[in-house]
Amino acid sequence: MKLWSISLRNLRVRLVATVLTMVSIVLATALYAAILTMSEQTEARYKGSIGGFQAVVGPKDASQLEVVLNTIFNVDVAPGLFPLRICTELRSGKSAGRRTQVRYAIPQARGDSVSRFNFPVIGTIDEMFSRFEWQYDGEKREPLRFQAGGPFVYAYDELLQLADGLAAYETAKRTEAPEPRPARPRIQPQWKKAVVGARVARTLGLGLGGTITPVHGKFGEFGYHEHPEATCEVVGILAPTNSPLDTTIFLPIGLHYLIDGHEGGVFLVETPPGKTPDDARKLPVEAGRIGLTAIVVDPKDHFGARLLRQEFSSKEAQVAWPADVIPKFLQQVGNAADALAVIAWLVLLVAAISITVAIYNTMNERRREIAIMRSLGARRFQILAIIVGEAALLSCFGALLGLVACHGAMLALQGVVEDATGVYLEWAQFRVWEAWLLLGVTGLGAFAGLLPAIKGSMTQVADNLAQNY
Amino acid sequence: MIHLRSVQKSYARGEQRVLACAVDRLDVAAGEQVALIGRSGTGKTTLLHILAGILRPDQGEVTVAGARLDGMGESARDRHRGQHIGMVYQTFNLLQPFTALENVLLGALFGRGAGHDARLRAEALLQQVGLAERMHHRPGQLSVGQVQRVAICRALVNDPELILMDEPLGNQDRATGGQVLDLLLEIARNGGKTVVMVTHDPESAKRMQRTVDLATLRSDLGAAAVASHGGHA
Repeated sequence: MKLWSISLRNLRVRLVATVLTMVSIVLATALYAAILTMSEQTEARYKGSIGGFQAVVGPKDASQLEVVLNTIFNVDVAPGLFPLRICTELRSGKSAGRRTQVRYAIPQARGDSVSRFNFPVIGTIDEMFSRFEWQYDGEKREPLRFQAGGPFVYAYDELLQLADGLAAYETAKRTEAPEPRPARPRIQPQWKKAVVGARVARTLGLGLGGTITPVHGKFGEFGYHEHPEATCEVVGILAPTNSPLDTTIFLPIGLHYLIDGHEGGVFLVETPPGKTPDDARKLPVEAGRIGLTAIVVDPKDHFGARLLRQEFSSKEAQVAWPADVIPKFLQQVGNAADALAVIAWLVLLVAAISITVAIYNTMNERRREIAIMRSLGARRFQILAIIVGEAALLSCFGALLGLVACHGAMLALQGVVEDATGVYLEWAQFRVWEAWLLLGVTGLGAFAGLLPAIKGSMTQVADNLAQNY
Repeated sequence: MIHLRSVQKSYARGEQRVLACAVDRLDVAAGEQVALIGRSGTGKTTLLHILAGILRPDQGEVTVAGARLDGMGESARDRHRGQHIGMVYQTFNLLQPFTALENVLLGALFGRGAGHDARLRAEALLQQVGLAERMHHRPGQLSVGQVQRVAICRALVNDPELILMDEPLGNQDRATGGQVLDLLLEIARNGGKTVVMVTHDPESAKRMQRTVDLATLRSDLGAAAVASHGGHA
């Protein structure tokens, strides 16, 4: 028999009070652990997800955060469009410096989604799979890996040709040119190919040869409709990256522009001075003003990055640097998490006080029990240890249950949280701070038990032995 | 084993001090079995608490099992009590949440330690008093006589030199209680242990080798000077 077994027995004897007091400890610990876990995993998710994205070009009238969140994290709808010409200039070196300063500049256009999960559909070129590089598990960057199949084929030149064809068709249509007018470019069968992220394949049960049909807007929202003409065959499934890439569907960008209903918004048209928007819609369009939502850019080197920072200039686009934007964003998120953590600590404090009150209130009825133990030879510090031990055990069990509750909640809410925020909760992963939290809550509980323990240890032996309660 | 010289203990009651116990001289030899008798209010229980080291006298010398208790600090007296003295109370004072075996082991925990050997000894004692089948029962599930036997086992578990008993037959029927008391006295006799029992029951006192009337220990004060103190005698 040990002192702690007496503490444990005392907790069992007052089971209802023990459980009620423990509930507050469980809740406080679970709350604190959940806040810390969400904060930590969100940070890891966001920091890990920018591993392959050095710079992103987006529309000028959006904030840099909007550009980054939409392009990399698929948050919200695209904040605007900017012309294809900027991508061409970046690739040729006309936008910054006198030579090409980028290793690649990959155009993207988005707007559609797939399934009720709203997996975003991004139109792009095949350089997304041959030149874009991703950092797997902190190792050297390399092109995206495929767990099955491979990329579709759609080169930048094909995009330029399509842009020319679309521009000729649109110009003839808008200016009401005499017949015969140029024909609208048609969707080529070889463009109806898709590469899907690992989670898309897993969630939708897609394998190679499976098909997806993009939906305009979001599934279930007012005005959404499917694009059966753009139904694609899955030719490649990306290996997991634990980033939003896992929930993304890539199509050839040409297919995106030829989907029914997209033609009206494909070209960016400026209204000249003295003209109305209706007048502008009758003006010729330029191939270089086909609209993009983003360009994924990788500077060649530090010099290229500096030039891109200092000399990139456009009234319609801007360069956003995820490595700058995300830490600031996380700092703001972190401040909110800190505030929540303070609340959790306050709840813990209240729980600790409830331990003090709960045990203190039992001291009167336990005077005889303590006197008996003293008469058997128990010293004051042993009585103190038994009562502090009660508080510590109560807190320790509460903290343990709180951690279990936190992990259980993560398991239960894993899918919901991932759908809502893109953060994949690793419910089975235990971290070092959880051990510290357990120790901290136990220590706090032990401290809370000190006051009743001191009162208990001061019990007068002779007086209380004589009484027969 | 026990040597008391000019011992006095009083309590404050308001602004007055009330003398609860006074003993000029008391000697008990090792292995002796002594009954301390006296009418209510003569300080029997107070004297027992002084012998146990639960109370420290205001004055006088108290030597028990070779240790001068009157000069010891509280913690040292607690340790001394745990290791050298076994106590049996009128109400037996078992802890209700614990089983019979655990109650006996509590005595060991605060005495010489509640390791494996102590457990074996506790089980052997419970078997010896006929509680082999009841050692995992709680006090509330035992008869008064069985509770008394558990209390005796707890007093013996540390193999103490001295056993102090406060009205051990208390509220139970004389025949059953007497048998258990005889059992304890036999175990004590066989183990060479000293037994001091305070009682106001002449029948119980007759079982002991010697009877000492507490009033006779206070020759200089006289019985009339003894103040009544209900809580301690």
